[in-house]
Order: sequence, then C-alpha cells, then structure tokens
Amino acid sequence: MTNDPYFIDFPGRIKAIQREMAADGIDVYLGSRLRTLSWTTDAFFPWRSYIVIPAEGLPTAFTFVIDAARAADESWLDTDHVLGFAPMGGQDQIFAISGLILNHLKGKKGVVGVEAGMSNYLPEGNLTHYEYQAFETALPGIKLVNALDIIDRLSLIKDEGTINRFRKAGQMADAGHVAVYNAIKNGGFKKYTETEIAGIAAMGMREAGSVWEWSFTGGNEIASGYRTGFMGGACTPPTDRKLQPGEPLMVDLHSTFKLGLGDHTHNYLLAPATDRQKWHAKNFVDLVALVLKTYGPGVSPSSLADKMMIFCEERGFAEYMVPGFEHGIGMLGDEWRIGRNDGPFPYWTNPDHIYEPSEMLICALQYACPDENIGFRYENAILITKDGCETMSKYPLAVEVVE
Amino acid sequence: MPSLKYLSPEWTAEAEKRLRSQLTPEAMKNLTSSMLTVYHNCPDGKERAFYYKIEDGVFTDISIRENPLPEAEFVISGDYDTFAKISRSEIGSRSALMNGKLRLQGNMVKALSLASIVDRFNKILSEIPCEY
Repeated sequence: MTNDPYFIDFPGRIKAIQREMAADGIDVYLGSRLRTLSWTTDAFFPWRSYIVIPAEGLPTAFTFVIDAARAADESWLDTDHVLGFAPMGGQDQIFAISGLILNHLKGKKGVVGVEAGMSNYLPEGNLTHYEYQAFETALPGIKLVNALDIIDRLSLIKDEGTINRFRKAGQMADAGHVAVYNAIKNGGFKKYTETEIAGIAAMGMREAGSVWEWSFTGGNEIASGYRTGFMGGACTPPTDRKLQPGEPLMVDLHSTFKLGLGDHTHNYLLAPATDRQKWHAKNFVDLVALVLKTYGPGVSPSSLADKMMIFCEERGFAEYMVPGFEHGIGMLGDEWRIGRNDGPFPYWTNPDHIYEPSEMLICALQYACPDENIGFRYENAILITKDGCETMSKYPLAVEVVE
Repeated sequence: MPSLKYLSPEWTAEAEKRLRSQLTPEAMKNLTSSMLTVYHNCPDGKERAFYYKIEDGVFTDISIRENPLPEAEFVISGDYDTFAKISRSEIGSRSALMNGKLRLQGNMVKALSLASIVDRFNKILSEIPCEY
C-alpha cells in the first residue's frame, strides 16, 4: 500500500482492461485516444500516440520518437514499453505497431480492438480512416473491431487517486482566482486586457503547482463586456480587449495536476454595476446554487435540465439560458461526453445517463444576454457523492462587484 | 592492401581486426548491446547477416551469419545492393533509413543514442578496400 494520495493502480487498470478484452473476445487492444493514453500510462502525450495492450502482460505505448524518452520518464511504464516511432524504414507507426501486434498474436488470426467513432472534442484521437486501412493491410486476416467502450466504462467511476488529483487541480484554479482578484480589485482592472488577466491567473496557478492551462478552448478563457454574452458562448479564448468599468468579466481557469484537470469559472461586475446587471447576476448565482444542490446519484442530464429550466422560467430568465448543465471530464483528453456512447446520438452524451457515486463531471452553465452585452459562466469539476456532489474548486460562489 | 570480397571470411577478419583496434571501450561508451545487419538478395541469392555482440564496450562476437539468424537488440535489414552503395558512400545510411531502403527494428529511442557509435562502425568498415 502507498500513502501517496495521488496513487493510481495503473497495473490494476491494465488488468481490468485485459479482463474486459477477454470477455469481449478481443486479443489485442490498440488505443489511440488521448484519454486512453492518459488513463493507462499516467503520462502526457501531445503527439499522435498509441497504446498496444496484449491479452496478458504489460502494454506498450508508441509516440513520436522525439518525445518518447520524456513520456517514459513520466509514465509508470519503463523505456522498453514506451517506444518511439519515426518516418524511417521499420520505425513508422504502422509497421512498428503492427509488428508488435503480430508478435502478441503469435501467428493466430485474432481480433484487435481499436478506437473509432467521432467526437466534437478535436484532440479525441480516434483512429483515422487512413490508419484503419493501413492497419488492416498490415494485419492480414486479423479482424479490427471498435472497442472503445471498454475504456469508457472502466474510466467512468473515478478512483481515490484520480479524485484527489482533481481536488488538487481545483485548489490550483482557486489560487488563480485569488491572483486575478488581487490584480483587479481597487480599480486595478483598468490596467489590464483579457490576455493579461489570463496570464495573471496562469502565474497564480503555476505558483500553486499547476503544470498547464490545459483547455484546448484557449487555455484560461477570459471574456469581458459584450464577449461574456455570446449566445451559447461557452468558449472564450482571451483577446487584447481592455477591461472597462461598467462591464462584466468572466474568468474561466484551467489548471492541471498529474493529468487531473481543474476547471472553474468565476464572474465579476466591474464597477459601476447597474441594478439590471445585478439582477442578471442574482439569477445566475441562484441558479448555480440550485444546480449544485440538485446534482447527485439518480439524476440524469435531462432530468436536471428539466428542473432547472422550470426554475429559470419562474424567475423570468429562461431565454438567457443554454439548457445544458454539464460536460464530461476525466484524466487529460477525456472531455465533453458524459458516460458511455449509449445515447440516441452516437458519441454524444446520453441525456438519460443516470449519475452514480464517484462519477465526475463538469457542472457547466452558460447564461447569456447578448442584447445587454452581459453573460456569466459557471464551471466546476464535481464528484457525485452518495447523497449529492462535492465541488473540486472551493472558490466562493458569487458575482462580486469589483470597485 | 588488396581488395577483399565484401562479407567474405577475409573481409570479416579484417573488419574484426579494425573494429577491435580502433574502437576502445571508452569510444564505445562501454555499451552493451547486440546488432544484426541483415543483407537480403546477396549476389549468390542467399541472405546473410553481420552480427556484433558488445559487452561493456568490448566486441565479444563479430561474425557473418546465415539462417537461422541470432536474435539481437537491433536489426537493420535491407538489400545487399543498398548496403554496398552505403559502403561505397554512394548513399548515406540515414538517407537509406529515411527512404525506407533499410529497416531498423528495435527501440528507436535507444537507437538514437547509439547512432554516433554506429556511424563510427560504418566509417571503419567503409575504409576496408573491397569488391562487391
């Protein structure tokens, strides 16, 4: 046993995959998604990478040769199990990986599980059409089947080490918010642009130990003024727009700790604030509080959305809400879809997915009133507990007026 | 020195003599490894391989092998003609690898760290007068 709160039993994960492979009749698993690489290796793979998991024994990861030594250094796998590929004879990814798969199959005509499908998350990493055809040619007589559900079902319930990594990443995001608040308070905001706020937050988070502003949507997403109010606008990479009095400010921070992800948004009104702006802010804060109180086991995305939209209607601000209150989250590369690929629209969240204890998601709300140049976002990684949810960021929920 | 037939026993003996005398354990970075250079389509139609075994920077086996070939940490394979062109400096070994004329099997990351040593081997071997 280990006292490391961030310990994850990666060999145990591999054995669990191998049990599922046996049950599904898969002889070798060829993973290519970023989420799969993170979940199985504990290393960051920014290049096109793969992992070959045999029926028994250790897996082997493959990445671009220039980064293989660094990835092996981060991973629990040794240098014989994190290999590099390169554009040269015998070392290109198709040849090297198919060679290893053939070795594992020992001359049998077997079944290789691959990761195919689609995602609205660009870095997902499903096998491309070219790769599929190239592996099919390099593995004659061997059947390739889509097997990504194995990883998706195993990674759904988070273990303690993963949860603690998210807790730590949440603390780091909070440190970023403190840094931003200290910079903007007492009129300090007048000196800064959105990009500078993103940098101040990054510095605060890095000082707290975060290694990366991980989001593909622009690192730390900062919006001010009309940019907070884009309809449906859940993506605001910062610009050089100056912060101005009388405008809203949205601070959406992304920290990273051991492939655990912090994701928290806090909102401000830069003084002076009008009563109408404060009305919008109260609507938003009350709704977030209700959403957080409602999340728990047995809830589904659609049941939660139905309840929340009734509240929004009653309070007269339904027109400003995107009727979605979550997106999926897991170790780096696992973002957007909640749960498994079992919904009515392939590879999108199943709206009737029932949350269970130890699942994690990002509680995510977008409030937008473009006609009034105002909007707010809430994001916070949450853990579904036995009787509710635990937020990873503890930054107090509010929309403060910053003088 | 008269020209020796490439991959003949005489050429192999000369190669061994030169490699042992010119590459000290320090120059070999006290390496422990094994390498097999596999020549497809030799002039007599056979497949041959040049095998090196190195322990702590010392060559413990330098030999020409035929099937069955021994296992080695690194295997470089290609046509006899390609290796002959490399030995005559008509093409570079890196270029041959990048163009897929040669194939390398083994851990690419480790291979990168050994590239300069292999360059030294090849330079010494290319200085042996030989006919193909």
